Amino acid sequence: MYRYDEFDHAFVSARVEQFKDQVERRLAGELTEDQFRPLRLMNGVYLQLHAYMLRVAIPYGTLSARQMRKLAHIARTYDRGYGHFTTRQNLQYNWPALKDMPKVLDELAEVEMHALQTSGNCIRNVTADHFAGAAADEVADPRPYAEILRQWSSMHPEFSYLPRKFKIAVTGAERDRAAIQVHDIGLHLKRNEAGEIGFAVYVGGGQGRTPMVAKKIRDFLPVEDLLTYTTAIMRVYNLNGRRDNKYKARIKILVHETGTEELTRQVETEWLALKNSDLKLPQTDVDAIDSYFRPPHLPLRPEGWSALAGARKADHAFAAWVDQNVTPHKNPDYGVVTISLKPIGGIPGDATDAQMDLVADIAEQFSQDEIRVSHEQNLILPHVAIADLRIVYDLLLTDGLATANAGLITDIIACPGLDYCALATARSIPVAQRISERFADPARQADIGELKLKISGCINACGHHHVGHIGILGVEKKGEELYQISLGGSGDEVCTIGDITGRGFSSEEIVDAIETIVDRYLEVRTDKEETFLAAYRRLGAAPFKDALYSEAANAA
Amino acid sequence: MTDISEKPESQLWGREGFREDPYITVETLEEAGDAPAVILPLAVWLGLDEGVRNATNRRIGVSIAPGESIDPLLPLLGSIPVIALQFPAFNDGRSYSKAEVLKDRHQFQGELRAVGDVLIDQVAYMLRTGFDTLKVTHAVTLTRLADHNLHDTPVYYQPGRGSHTKAGTYSWRRVPDTQ
Ligand code: HEM
Ligand code: SF4
Repeated sequence: MYRYDEFDHAFVSARVEQFKDQVERRLAGELTEDQFRPLRLMNGVYLQLHAYMLRVAIPYGTLSARQMRKLAHIARTYDRGYGHFTTRQNLQYNWPALKDMPKVLDELAEVEMHALQTSGNCIRNVTADHFAGAAADEVADPRPYAEILRQWSSMHPEFSYLPRKFKIAVTGAERDRAAIQVHDIGLHLKRNEAGEIGFAVYVGGGQGRTPMVAKKIRDFLPVEDLLTYTTAIMRVYNLNGRRDNKYKARIKILVHETGTEELTRQVETEWLALKNSDLKLPQTDVDAIDSYFRPPHLPLRPEGWSALAGARKADHAFAAWVDQNVTPHKNPDYGVVTISLKPIGGIPGDATDAQMDLVADIAEQFSQDEIRVSHEQNLILPHVAIADLRIVYDLLLTDGLATANAGLITDIIACPGLDYCALATARSIPVAQRISERFADPARQADIGELKLKISGCINACGHHHVGHIGILGVEKKGEELYQISLGGSGDEVCTIGDITGRGFSSEEIVDAIETIVDRYLEVRTDKEETFLAAYRRLGAAPFKDALYSEAANAA
Repeated sequence: MTDISEKPESQLWGREGFREDPYITVETLEEAGDAPAVILPLAVWLGLDEGVRNATNRRIGVSIAPGESIDPLLPLLGSIPVIALQFPAFNDGRSYSKAEVLKDRHQFQGELRAVGDVLIDQVAYMLRTGFDTLKVTHAVTLTRLADHNLHDTPVYYQPGRGSHTKAGTYSWRRVPDTQ
């Protein structure tokens, strides 16, 4: 893992000191809320429906046990005993008092964390594949490059007042687990024919009210050009991105209105002038950052396989958890464990202080002190020996963390919605809870197979509904909450935006509607191998619309 | 932020502190009378005779709005004493990129000036992207500048003006020249 050096410490503590001063001036009434607003936003402090909210960055989703314990401690001491893991690999506290914010930031700084650039029109927390450094299918670890981007984008003098917020995601495998094609810039780390490492560069993806899939503007960018090329993209955007309309200000609109070819030409022209500037990365620097992310030394544990076979046989629930929540590791004696934060009927992404402490303890003993946060609002133990799976499972079971539903229909992504969010037009958490309860039966979930269900409480799409295999968008119509369904979205390497089925459903109807869609899928799939997404891609929307609307008509 | 009480007259500030502004900003040359130093809008400046632009008895600078391109100025930079880049609102960041291009790529030798909604939190960014002077009206900003409180960080993660590399660290990092 990356460790702060003196330089990083000096930077973060200076920012915390500045913010302390600003909070004191706000509390003393020297600053009005209006004047305080841009200052607090730079430090990740939002004003929400009920209270101030603090958004803590978890760069590229990587945490140590010590950092996780600190997050637990903050939840216990300054909040109501829980935190909310978000789809952007951040953690949100919903109830801290403004007067405590400087103390919280001090505590975070102790463990090399901060809340900088988690809001505002700047380059946000850089996200990465949550299986980075562990997954069997990885070409190279994306985190060193995410760390270089994190540093370079921190308080960038030229790019802190962009037309709109800016999100960068990096992945290092063909299988895209970081949804890079719905980011402002998506970087796909790969090898060229000569075996060299570089990036495919995607620009202009995004969700919100105008969802768009990013365009590839470069097939292979050498590593040394990472910062010069990113600077070129940022500069073209900063100068030409629309500032007349907040809803048209993201780079996706610039790409769309300029045309991919012309935009690529502008970026390449700008880049030619920057290519050999101070930002060209020397290999020695890349290597130095890379050395922080060297794979941990994993002792051989071949005995795990026979133990696993026995344990599976003896305990069906354990076997189901292994099948669903453990992914292949680079090292065949190890697995990558997904800890579901989606217990049946729970709040997606919420974890209590005790749960965070427990995960920290397990990570320290059984996962090389490493934890990841996924954009699917789950936690990951990246390096667990197959031989330790049983004990890890038993420990997780003690605090409701062993739900065997990773990637299944109850592994729902949901934004905070009307329960917390000032921008919401509908509730999303209670809908997630009711759907989760409806599909609670493990056998039924397993039969349905992979199905990504994502819910947003308004058109801003924080819950990624556009790229859900089934997406649900809460809107408000004549004072009532109404839920629109979209089908066939996907945030992976074959990225698609879901199609809206038709008229929305009331809060009472929505769970039945989802069940109707799922039942229709079970009827029309060729066999169990054909996932919901594959069936939708083969058949299109018609059979599902038919089921939804003719059935609704019959019921009426 | 803009509703904070603002002093009517603005003051010119640079790294050395406050100073007298020799320039007046006008819409046309006629309006300027015989003032020795004036700043004109881009379109007006571009419309001037070359002889007038390069006259030795008076300095004529140019003011650029965020939406205006600096490209027509690029071949003429040698003859421009001051370029004023406007910040009509603090959150319009286009002029930072222009500053960077003018000073870094095209080595503009004249005075580069930021004019408009300049807040204290932005002063360090402006200096680092190449601004030499700031025309400040914002009351809190004026007070802080007078106190030499630039709201800066002790280290930077990017190259920029007024900073240098320190041996033994990454290529993108810098420390302020005062260190
Ligand atoms: C509760 C306070 C929140 C507020 C006020 C808020 C606000 C917004 C707004 C205004 C947008 C639309 C931006 C645009 O389209 O230009 C947006 C998008 C987004 N937000 Fe949030 N959000 C909040 C919470 C969250 C949470 C909890 C998550 C993660 C679970 C999240 C992740 C995202 C993502 C992934 C997007 C869409 C990606 C994109 O911008 O293209 N936000 N948010
Ligand atoms: S999607 Fe809307 S309701 Fe949900 S968190 Fe984002 S802004 Fe709030």
